[in-house]
Amino acid sequence: MDSSNIYKKSGFDFSNQIRNNFLAAKGVPVPKATSTGTTIVGCLFKDGIVLGADTRATAGEIIADKNCEKVVNPSCCGAGTAADTEFTTALISSNLELHSLSTGRKPRVVTAMTMLKQMLFQYQGHIGAALVLGGVDVTGPHLFTIHPHGSTDKLPYVTMGSGSLAAMAVFEAGWKAGMERQEAIDLVSAAISAGIFNDLGSGSNVDVCVITKERTDMLRNYIKPNERVTKERHYKFTRGTTAYQSENIRKYIVDESITYLTGSATTATTAEEAMDVS
Amino acid sequence: MNTVDMQQLKAGEVNLGTSIMAVQFDKGVVIGADSRTTTGSYIANRVTDKLTHVHDRVYCCRSGSAADTQAVADIVHYYLQMYSQQYGAPPSVHTAATLFEKLCYENKDQLLAGIIVAGWDREVGPSVYNIPVGGGLFRQPWAIGGSGSTYVYGYCDATYQEGWGKDETVNFVKNTLALAMSRDGSSGGVIRLAVITEDGVERLFIPGNELPRFWEGKEVLGQDMNKTFTHLAQMEIEA
Amino acid sequence: MQYNGGSIVAMVGKNCVAIASDLRLGNQALTIATDFEKVFPITDRIYLGMAGLATDVLTLRERFRFRVNMYSIKEEREIEPKTLAQLVSSTLYERRFGPYFIEPIIAGLTDSSKGSQPFIASADLIGCLNFAKDFVVVGTAEDKLLGVAEGLWEPDLEPEDLFETISQTLLNAVDRDAFSGWGAVVHVITPDKVITRTLKGRMD
Repeated sequence: MDSSNIYKKSGFDFSNQIRNNFLAAKGVPVPKATSTGTTIVGCLFKDGIVLGADTRATAGEIIADKNCEKVVNPSCCGAGTAADTEFTTALISSNLELHSLSTGRKPRVVTAMTMLKQMLFQYQGHIGAALVLGGVDVTGPHLFTIHPHGSTDKLPYVTMGSGSLAAMAVFEAGWKAGMERQEAIDLVSAAISAGIFNDLGSGSNVDVCVITKERTDMLRNYIKPNERVTKERHYKFTRGTTAYQSENIRKYIVDESITYLTGSATTATTAEEAMDVS
Repeated sequence: MNTVDMQQLKAGEVNLGTSIMAVQFDKGVVIGADSRTTTGSYIANRVTDKLTHVHDRVYCCRSGSAADTQAVADIVHYYLQMYSQQYGAPPSVHTAATLFEKLCYENKDQLLAGIIVAGWDREVGPSVYNIPVGGGLFRQPWAIGGSGSTYVYGYCDATYQEGWGKDETVNFVKNTLALAMSRDGSSGGVIRLAVITEDGVERLFIPGNELPRFWEGKEVLGQDMNKTFTHLAQMEIEA
Repeated sequence: MQYNGGSIVAMVGKNCVAIASDLRLGNQALTIATDFEKVFPITDRIYLGMAGLATDVLTLRERFRFRVNMYSIKEEREIEPKTLAQLVSSTLYERRFGPYFIEPIIAGLTDSSKGSQPFIASADLIGCLNFAKDFVVVGTAEDKLLGVAEGLWEPDLEPEDLFETISQTLLNAVDRDAFSGWGAVVHVITPDKVITRTLKGRMD
């Protein structure tokens, strides 16, 4: 029944659904899943692809994580339900590795895209993963967007998430064919910044990932436009502020002390020797 | 009774609110489409290619849900590759259209896909098949589809004639799509065309600023105002 | 979440971590028990807290106990905090379409061979991990805890100072939440000992 059982089927487990529907019918509010309200973008340049993302994760109207990583995989950015983007890309990158091992060829971007779209289409949009997939393979650089229902687009510059409108405005104004590496990085950071400052669902820092034929550079927190200033004074409490009723200490360092029952160590030895004699 | 509206897109689904078209002529077929993909009121892709290759001489024009039509086209593409490997010959357009129809009809509860299949084959030459939402297979000399098509049925009925050559057909498709795109809010962008003949597939592209233009209204206020009014006054006197 | 109530917070200090929870178990607005612990030891130096539906807290405590035991038997070593975090995450995501109504927090120290580094993480109900460097919060007082912790937490607190900071954070946040409170328990984990203290708090 539980894990590590070869007889257990893999895949999702729906056994809590009846209970959960019962609870929902009783009026118990269902907890919100973390979503990445997100601005994610990608753009083509002379030697490859630049991907970009903001770093805010939200749950409802509270910011769950101020510096999360949305470039989930060195070739993929995720928006939508955070857990879905994370697990979907992890599963596909694992399957892609197995695929490349069994074919003896390097994986291609279209293969990843096809595997992702087929999985998302199978789940009819219930897996809320919206992805920007980019990479360079033997056939050259490729950039795709994949929507939760399984549709894909292939474009030279793409944006997704709630900040996609702000970011797309920057791309539409500034994108040119055959840009240099730094030009592309600057444009991507400008697009993400537009999302960070104009979209409530996006915020914090800019993550950038540059993919070329030779290498992939992950520029984590490439720009930090919203750094928190260090506190000038402390709110440290004096020790003993909090009253407690009981205390229990689990000590992992065992300190032993030997207490001799009869006088000093020397007398003990002599007594023993004396015993032996008698 | 609680029923799900079949014709409705799922929330947040990517839509191909489209204008698509295919016309048969003596030597082949001309297929065409606009390039707009929308999510609600946002244009998710303004240069979409809705003319999808399913075999060497068979293409389809997709309308409806982007995810559904892509999935169906991918499956048919796979089947046709298997077909040509097994039989050592390319499939006929009818074979491809039948496959599309089967998938669309048997999964009609779960799909939103209006597809036009067109191409050339050795058996019957050029042919166009229309598969509306929910299934059904209709061979037609010309077919239009998508949300934009409703605006141009009259134009097509009035304009189409048998016996056209390639250039006349291309022009007909170009004009029809331009008219549909100008009236339909969920169609627009550029026109993509493909001419499929025995010799090959020729792709044509008409950018948004080079679309055929028709009467676009005239300025009523401003300079012409006096003319308009004097003209009206004249009419009144005459009356 | 609001059905049984409860909140948990974990914070990083200097070579130590602390995890604290309230003790209330309710049935909507009615308080059933005031000794319901939500934080459980997984190994000597890793604690796991779960806020949410009490039945799932107990079910998952046993499931995780089982899975961690299986891990130690197979691997012949204690589980690392980040491994546990992944284990928790995938256990929750398995039920993506019929989830357990809990939000977990993992607090612990890495193996002494890896320098006993402090580690905290939280996840949502379907297992989306959040590796924070400062503090993590879950439960019905989540939003209040987040605000208080944001103000009170500072880096490199010694165990005794971390105890005061986490206790005051929890106590003050929970006092403004109707579904949490009725006492609290704090665990401060250091490389050589774990100090567990039951706090005095408002009982209303």
